Amino acid sequence: MTIGVKKVSLTRTFSDQVFLPAILQGLATTARHFFANALSPGQKNVDTIRYGEPGVDVKDYYPERFRGVHRLMHREDGSVRCVACMCCSTICPARCIAIEAEDRHDSHEKAPKSFVIDELKCIVCGLCVEACPCDAIRMDTKQHMFATEQRPDAVLHKVDLMREGGLSVATQGGAGPEYRAQLPKADPRFTHDPR
Amino acid sequence: MPEFPSLRRIVHALAARMPWQESNRRAPWAWVSLLGPLFGFACLIVLFTACGDPAAGRDATQGVRIEARPTRLVLDPQTTTGKIELVNVGDRAAAVADFRIQGSDWASFSIVDPLSRRTLRPGQSLTFTVAVDPESLRGPSASVESVVADEPGVALERGEYRDGAATLQFSAGGQPQSVPLLFQYRSWVWTQLLPALVKVHVLALGFVLPLAALLTWLERKQSALMQDRVGPNMARVSFGGVTLRLWGLLHIITDGIKMLFKEDFIPRRAHRVLYGLAPLLALAPAMTVFAIVPFGDALCYEQLFQVTTQADIDQCATGRGGTPLQVARIDVGLLFYFAIASLATYGTTLAGWASYNKWAVLGALRASAQMISYEVALGLTVVGALLVYGSLEPHALVRAQMDSSWGILLQPVAFILFLTAAIAETKRAPFDLPEGESEIIGYFIEYSGMRFGLFYLSEFMEVVFVSAIVTTLFLGGWALPFGALGASGFSSAAVAQLCLATAGIVLLFVGIRLVRSNPAVRMFGVVVAIVGGIHLGLAVVSLFTGWGTQLPHLAVVLLGMVIWGVKVVVLCWVQLLIRWTLPRFRYDQLMNLGWKGLLPLSVANIVLTALVVYALTPTAPPAPSQDDAHTQGPKE
Repeated sequence: MTIGVKKVSLTRTFSDQVFLPAILQGLATTARHFFANALSPGQKNVDTIRYGEPGVDVKDYYPERFRGVHRLMHREDGSVRCVACMCCSTICPARCIAIEAEDRHDSHEKAPKSFVIDELKCIVCGLCVEACPCDAIRMDTKQHMFATEQRPDAVLHKVDLMREGGLSVATQGGAGPEYRAQLPKADPRFTHDPR
Repeated sequence: MPEFPSLRRIVHALAARMPWQESNRRAPWAWVSLLGPLFGFACLIVLFTACGDPAAGRDATQGVRIEARPTRLVLDPQTTTGKIELVNVGDRAAAVADFRIQGSDWASFSIVDPLSRRTLRPGQSLTFTVAVDPESLRGPSASVESVVADEPGVALERGEYRDGAATLQFSAGGQPQSVPLLFQYRSWVWTQLLPALVKVHVLALGFVLPLAALLTWLERKQSALMQDRVGPNMARVSFGGVTLRLWGLLHIITDGIKMLFKEDFIPRRAHRVLYGLAPLLALAPAMTVFAIVPFGDALCYEQLFQVTTQADIDQCATGRGGTPLQVARIDVGLLFYFAIASLATYGTTLAGWASYNKWAVLGALRASAQMISYEVALGLTVVGALLVYGSLEPHALVRAQMDSSWGILLQPVAFILFLTAAIAETKRAPFDLPEGESEIIGYFIEYSGMRFGLFYLSEFMEVVFVSAIVTTLFLGGWALPFGALGASGFSSAAVAQLCLATAGIVLLFVGIRLVRSNPAVRMFGVVVAIVGGIHLGLAVVSLFTGWGTQLPHLAVVLLGMVIWGVKVVVLCWVQLLIRWTLPRFRYDQLMNLGWKGLLPLSVANIVLTALVVYALTPTAPPAPSQDDAHTQGPKE
């Protein structure tokens, strides 16, 4: 496609000079918006999120990939899903994750003896979630970084992280591309999902 | 069209709100919800009573029917003669004869030129004049003594008039008929002062101030909806566990409370007297101009529940037996408007000058220059209407529009010019340079609290007034198009059915909307839907019986006021639409539009109108022949 030149006439026509046609067009546009919103029960075109209204949870409107406070996922037996592979703590640019591994004494190889995240250091980049090979760490709590009175309170330990965590049924090592089909359908307004 | 809730659901919704329900035991407000069905039921009863016997009205047009216009003649010392027109509205010719005056005061009244027997064909009319001798009703005198003796409670002083009553009797087609003749003398307190006070309160407290307050909310809500926003919706009131938000309507009250409790700030070097006076000088003219606006035809005190004719209403409009629905009936009403409206300039100018603030002075200068410029065009556009309708009195203007056609049809250019200039007079966008939020805050920059609130309110009252005066000048005031609503009712049964069905459908639609929108206003919505259903029912009744052409006077007056109010509210809405659609002018563009655009156009409109009126006016009215002096042919 080549770049063309569109010539715009700058001479004013009669209808430009009497103003009225343009004014009526403008009034018609605004009146159309007014009636569309006034006559539809949910105010059709209004995109405002009614934050703070009863029955409206603003977290429902958060994007699917919103990154909040971390959590650690569970296996079916309730134990932690993490295998202490250190991927997350290695990739973390802020070095806020500290893991100490231990032996699980079962068919699985390892588990974290302690799993500590200093949320004050965390820059919420989400690389730990990207790096995790077994869907153990997630940032989908939709909770913002919380305020604490003491700095140590902002350091989350394994128990704190697992308290928020739920069951993850992901195949160890990843289910491949099919995992996307298990995701809940995202709000198309807030995602740029190629689907 | 949303689905209508089933009857079962409505009944359940009603039953759940009844005060004897367990859940409503501890909520005293639940008794209020009883008012809804009761109100609807009362409306049903009132409306069906007003119907009367619908078949009677239709049957009465069969055979001989002579109608007197006015149905009762009221005279006073200033008006000692009056005309009565007898019209044959039946469908066969009738002989009218044996005119005589009877009653206790028969000697005081006289027929000016007695008529012999005459035959009136259908549609023909007969006019004759009745005179009264006021002196014979002035006491005490010999002729009155006997009457006074009969009524011991009446003691007349010398020179005081008493009420006189007689009937004009005649036979029409062999049937005796009579027209009441009354002589009334009331002091100006009763004829002028008290009605004026009542009308001021009805108009100001009942319409203008509520509507101006409503506009403060509507301006924000409407602009929000036009711009796909939510708008004010947070003010709420809770009682008995029910929270009402009413689409943010309560923001009117919260705004008022906020303004009353804000700091009343006066700049240190401001002129304190003028600073305090300026908001009043802005508000007072905005309220005063409403004096000339007619919000209905006339109200006849003693014929509220009877069918009246236009002649009755004209008689009442002169103050005999009634009062015009207009606070002040001034012959130069429109000039009064221009005079008072130009006083509003003082409010803005003094506000700016007294504030000791350079931005305020700039705003004031802009305001005064703009208002003076646009008043010229405003005055000249009205001249066109003056040429066409031949009056400067708003009430007469509306009557003239009812008789010919509306001003928007005869003077479309003047309508646009007048609306433009009038919006410029209110100093609102696109003419809001005196305010100019982005450059100078305007003449009220230093004002706070309720002082600012007065400016704010007067601005909206000017909006209401512009709507009212445009309605009066160009949109036929309280009239429906094509004369659909006359003095005695709708012009035909089909029109009545159309109007009732339209009102019914609109109310039903709104009611269902309300029912479905919010549980808190469901009760209100049900009432609105019931009223709409009543209208629809009446339309159906009218379909079968032809009801609607003979309405009681009070119903006609109320309908006229509602029509006037609807027109004003719609025009207010249009003004807000314009205000939130068009961007602000630059100051030179504003002056160009005023002096180079509106002024020449309005002058051209005057010249053109004058030429057309001159061409269409017959040079001399045809001299009435002797025969037609009293008997006129059927009206076209």
